[in-house]
Amino acid sequence: MATQHSRAAARFMISPSVLLLLGWMLIPLGMTIYFSLLRYNLLMPGEHPFVGWENYSYFLSDPAFKIALVNTLLLVGGVLIITVIGGVLLGLLLDQVMWGQGIVRILVIAPFFVMPTVSALVWKNMFMNPVNGLFAYLAKFLGLQPIDFLAQAPLMSIIGIVSWQWLPFATLILLTAMQSLDQEQLEAAEMDGAGPFSRFFYIVVPHLSRAVTVVILIQTIFLLSVFAEILVTTNGGPGNASTNLTYLVYAESLLRFDVGTGSAGGVVAIVLANIVAIFLMRMIGKNLDA
Amino acid sequence: MGRITLDKVTKSFGEVQVIPPLDLTIDDGEFVVFVGPSGCGKSTLLRLIAGLEDITSGQIRIDREDATHVPPAKRGLAMVFQSYALYPHMSVRKNIAFPLKMAKMDAAERDKRVDYAASVLNLTDYLDRRPGQLSGGQRQRVAIGRAIVREPAAFLFDEPLSNLDAALRVNMRLEISELHNTLKTTMVYVTHDQVEAMTMADKIVVLHAGRIEQVGSPLELYHTPRNTFVAGFIGSPKMNLIEGPEAAKHAAHTIGIRPEHLDTSAEAGTWEGRVGVSEHLGSDTFFHVHDTGLAETLTVRASGEVALRHGDRIFLTPQMDKLHRFDAEGLRIA
Repeated sequence: MATQHSRAAARFMISPSVLLLLGWMLIPLGMTIYFSLLRYNLLMPGEHPFVGWENYSYFLSDPAFKIALVNTLLLVGGVLIITVIGGVLLGLLLDQVMWGQGIVRILVIAPFFVMPTVSALVWKNMFMNPVNGLFAYLAKFLGLQPIDFLAQAPLMSIIGIVSWQWLPFATLILLTAMQSLDQEQLEAAEMDGAGPFSRFFYIVVPHLSRAVTVVILIQTIFLLSVFAEILVTTNGGPGNASTNLTYLVYAESLLRFDVGTGSAGGVVAIVLANIVAIFLMRMIGKNLDA
Repeated sequence: MGRITLDKVTKSFGEVQVIPPLDLTIDDGEFVVFVGPSGCGKSTLLRLIAGLEDITSGQIRIDREDATHVPPAKRGLAMVFQSYALYPHMSVRKNIAFPLKMAKMDAAERDKRVDYAASVLNLTDYLDRRPGQLSGGQRQRVAIGRAIVREPAAFLFDEPLSNLDAALRVNMRLEISELHNTLKTTMVYVTHDQVEAMTMADKIVVLHAGRIEQVGSPLELYHTPRNTFVAGFIGSPKMNLIEGPEAAKHAAHTIGIRPEHLDTSAEAGTWEGRVGVSEHLGSDTFFHVHDTGLAETLTVRASGEVALRHGDRIFLTPQMDKLHRFDAEGLRIA
């Protein structure tokens, strides 16, 4: 009836917000690409000559780039493995009926509400500090040499901190998925002679596959851009041991004041994130089809 | 073999006793139906037999062996659930083969048994589909197939037809009865539908509030209900139960007369009344009769079509040999 007409009207009416969002996205992206083609250093005022791909070749040939790339993948992969496995186990635990269930669940979710900078500072100063940290006390109590986590295993420490932040998210999604499993299926499997482990691997795990896919996709988006935790704890160091791509871009543009190379790094990061996204969708996206 | 004996079995959830001490024997090869209104404990009783719930006290014996503390998988029973409980991520073949896989049977034997079960249940063309791609009746058959392949001592059915539409329910009822005749295995079947109970059972167990009201063949229950509860529950439409002076005339607290045992007449009879709503089923007509001087509205079943309209006067006469008499406790007076 009036669908044709109302569709046109609807398009007209949503156009301002679409244009705004488009501008919101396209202008910064366009400027980043534009800056990435200029020699533009804030320490050298004056002309900003067009230099073509020079910034890109400089950024990509920087030995720090390869390290940052590997660190980024290790960080994302490590946190994903820890949160998914830990989330499933915690979910199984929290799915049990117990006294004080509600409070325990809220406590488990709590780390997710702590700001990244705050949680990183807490971990750095109260847990991992080699003199005053809780882990140092523990080591001394056991008669061991305290470990300076952030100096000796910087990337692992950051993976630990970030995992702690994201574990609640994974637990929450996986717990709700577990609760949606039909109990009669588990009872049927029990009647069919499946023990607890068989029930877990044949019934629960397949049921969780979709939730795990959601967790992996969402977390990857956020984990590719981890920044605050690195800035507050290690500053990307020692050397480049805990520098990821996001931090490298920051270092180029704001520590070395090189806007051109920083922008080039940003564009490279966008391309890499998209490559990772395509691979992920190829690998696990089919789980999302009903 | 599949002889199941319950000996003084009770079940409590916390303080609440849902099954008071209960004795029951299910013989090998019998088709036993547990029937009762919802909340009467029939599903709980089935789950106790299956081992999905632990009994609070008493003993369950399967083939004379104490199975009270045997885990469900070791009892040699197979269960078909109300929701079918198929594994959605597995193909039909894998669903049916799952219990065999859990029993670590080798692949060749497994395939042979699955193919046999599929041929019995007309599922051969669907073996590679997922449960989500099947209709309700087909899912039901897969669930039964999963039970058959284990060659259990007894099958337990928990309201298996309640999710199907009326026509399919009648078909599946026949298929399950046919299956029982083929396999000759003990079957325990839970339903709230007394038509299912009457048509399928060798033996019906009528449950009410966790207690067994009567055990017997369908016709025994129909002809000689032990009390007013069974009298009212078995038979469709319900038996007319009449209390008061009219019952006292027959030296009883309550008298019962089934709708099909009331003769109608336009001229004379025991009770005179006015016709209310009539339900025409073609083969039968049910009509409700008001203002007979009794407290209760009477339901009458007449075969064929009856030319009676709303408001017509009618005389009813009970067939005296079909009259049931009950005492003040509701028990049958012989």
